Amino acid sequence: MKELSDRALDHLREVAQRPDFSGTRYELGEELARGGMGVVYAARDRELEREVALKVVAAEMADYETIARLRREARIIAHLEHPGIVPVHDVGALPDGRVFYAMKLVTGKRLDAQVLEAPSLGERLRLFLRVCEPVAFAHAHGVIHRDLKPENVMVGPFGEVLVMDWGVAKHRDDRPPAGGSKEAGPASEDGREEAPGHEHETAHGTVLGTPAYMAPEQARGELERVDARADVYALGAILYFLLTGRAPGRTKASPDEPTRTWAGPTRPPAIVPPRRLSPGLPRALEAICWKALAPDPDGRYAKVDDLAADVGRFLEGGRVWAYPENAWQKARRFAGRHRTAIALVVAYLVMRIVLLVVARI
Amino acid sequence: MNKPLLGLVVGGVLGVFDGLSALLSAPEVAPQIMGIVIGSTVKGILVGVIAGFVARKVSSVPIGIAVGLSAGLLFAYLVAAMPDPATGKHYYWEIMLPGSLAGALVGWATQKYGRRPGEARA
Amino acid sequence: MGFPETRRSVVLAVRSGDPEERARALDRLVEAYWRPVFLHLRRRWRESDEDARDLAQGFFAAALEKGWLTRFDPERGKFRTYLLTCLDGHVAKERRAARRLKRGGDATFVSLEEPDEDGGTRALPLPGGTDLEAEFHREWARSLFSLAVESLRARCAGTGKAVAFALFERYDIDGAEASDRPSYAELAAEHGLPVTQVTNHLHWARRELRAAVLGTLREITASEEEFRSEARALLGVEAP
Repeated sequence: MKELSDRALDHLREVAQRPDFSGTRYELGEELARGGMGVVYAARDRELEREVALKVVAAEMADYETIARLRREARIIAHLEHPGIVPVHDVGALPDGRVFYAMKLVTGKRLDAQVLEAPSLGERLRLFLRVCEPVAFAHAHGVIHRDLKPENVMVGPFGEVLVMDWGVAKHRDDRPPAGGSKEAGPASEDGREEAPGHEHETAHGTVLGTPAYMAPEQARGELERVDARADVYALGAILYFLLTGRAPGRTKASPDEPTRTWAGPTRPPAIVPPRRLSPGLPRALEAICWKALAPDPDGRYAKVDDLAADVGRFLEGGRVWAYPENAWQKARRFAGRHRTAIALVVAYLVMRIVLLVVARI
Repeated sequence: MNKPLLGLVVGGVLGVFDGLSALLSAPEVAPQIMGIVIGSTVKGILVGVIAGFVARKVSSVPIGIAVGLSAGLLFAYLVAAMPDPATGKHYYWEIMLPGSLAGALVGWATQKYGRRPGEARA
Repeated sequence: MGFPETRRSVVLAVRSGDPEERARALDRLVEAYWRPVFLHLRRRWRESDEDARDLAQGFFAAALEKGWLTRFDPERGKFRTYLLTCLDGHVAKERRAARRLKRGGDATFVSLEEPDEDGGTRALPLPGGTDLEAEFHREWARSLFSLAVESLRARCAGTGKAVAFALFERYDIDGAEASDRPSYAELAAEHGLPVTQVTNHLHWARRELRAAVLGTLREITASEEEFRSEARALLGVEAP
């Protein structure tokens, strides 16, 4: 047996994992990202002469199950036509059987990078509202994302927001996977369970990857309880991140630090109240965040629209549902909205009193 | 309602209050209070209408306040220039100061509220 | 078409009740792990060529006999790491036994530590860094890819695709040093084929190689999870 030189070995390793797009209209470029089941490459569409992104099933994941899942993901996204959801252009199979889909190449920053540049609270909240829109749209069409997190949100150069990676999205018409309810996602060939969007769930039911953005019922694998409100939780966690700069429950300062492997009992770690991390935060906002992050789905906003509406009301100085006010807080809010008028009236009254006093002297 | 009309109403109402509040700072004018209130109301209406028309053309709260303040000041001066028939005194401060502030309030109101021409009905 | 059929893991098959199946499984493991084990013995334990061979032989036999292989628990880690630990343990024990022999027992002792004068039997120098586990991993990867290349060669010979293999060997193996690598056009000229056919052959050969290497990997891993993680390490996607 001929011995492979070091260079030959390195070359063969590269060759073995790179997908083969010969015979297709795409010219493969560099690798952009690597996810739970697929790899995303930049590429060029020779027919339409434009840059695209290609998501391919990873070489080591290429079994029937994963391939079917990628096809499903492509179909789900293709049915959701919304400016906030990355459009799918094409779906196909490589000669080696791996499936890929072509989508718009998104230029921009991930939300966790973008937020470093959005200094004001108002800007962050408006950004958040733009994240809610495509999710609400998807829900209206029966699709739950199930893996929302800042890494899966891209912000384009014009401030447009795109929600990516619908790899573990579920359509309400999908038949539940075989094998009972103790699964967090579709079962793989070996009967091993897969936690949405992350590494695998082992036979003992431990979830790897960060559950910071995952609703508790989802992290526990209670499939029948996972509905649109799991996405509400995730959005609440994203809001938390936008307000405090950290994911809920993380003890590390920077979201760039490597994911902590959580191999304990599947309960998310206790969450620090946002006002402790950002002392100037308005209570109403904290209340919104808290409501969205309620451990029990019944305690959360029932719909993404409700969450977005509350944030919108906060931005306009209106009353927030999540935050019951007493009379004093109502008055303060009113005063905040009508500062000019109140100043003028007060000035008038003060002036009258001054005149009175002066006349008396 | 449109801005000039709003200005008219708000100006008139404020004018009434302004006139009545003269009793607060100068109780001795109580006998002439009717005249004072009428004068104040007319002043307020005029200021309000002017501010309203300006608000139709220009959308700026600071400008609206400035217009109301100036108009209020002007009309108040005209009134203050007339001496009190009984005592012959001039009540410049007592008339111009409140008058200008009331005018400022009217100016603000016409900017914030009221319909511009061409705007859809709410 | 392309992806490997679900091969039974030989790591699990060594536990089989059927002695034939066990033997086959062990053969497969030895095939994949022989080279990395041998080189590890030479580098880490500084064994001579011949002694390393004997030790390796002895190790695999002991592994089966003493049930180390059957005792492997996939939950606790990778098979590859486990095997390395067993190997080091085995060699340490053997050396202690040899020292006892040297000290008290046999008249004619066999020292496992003395290097010979002849060239080729001296211990191999350690490679640049001294990360032995990484070296073991690399040799393991090399071994797997070599097996895959050989299986591809055999396959091509058997199915009349010798040309494809020749092209692949020329471009992807021999031509791995970039300066050596011919262009598709040159290859086409050499073999009297149109460039498109050269492209097709090469792509086909690479697909088959991928299938072969992943197929072998599947056999020597004990779980889907281990397979995927080892595949990423094998393909250089992740650090081992």
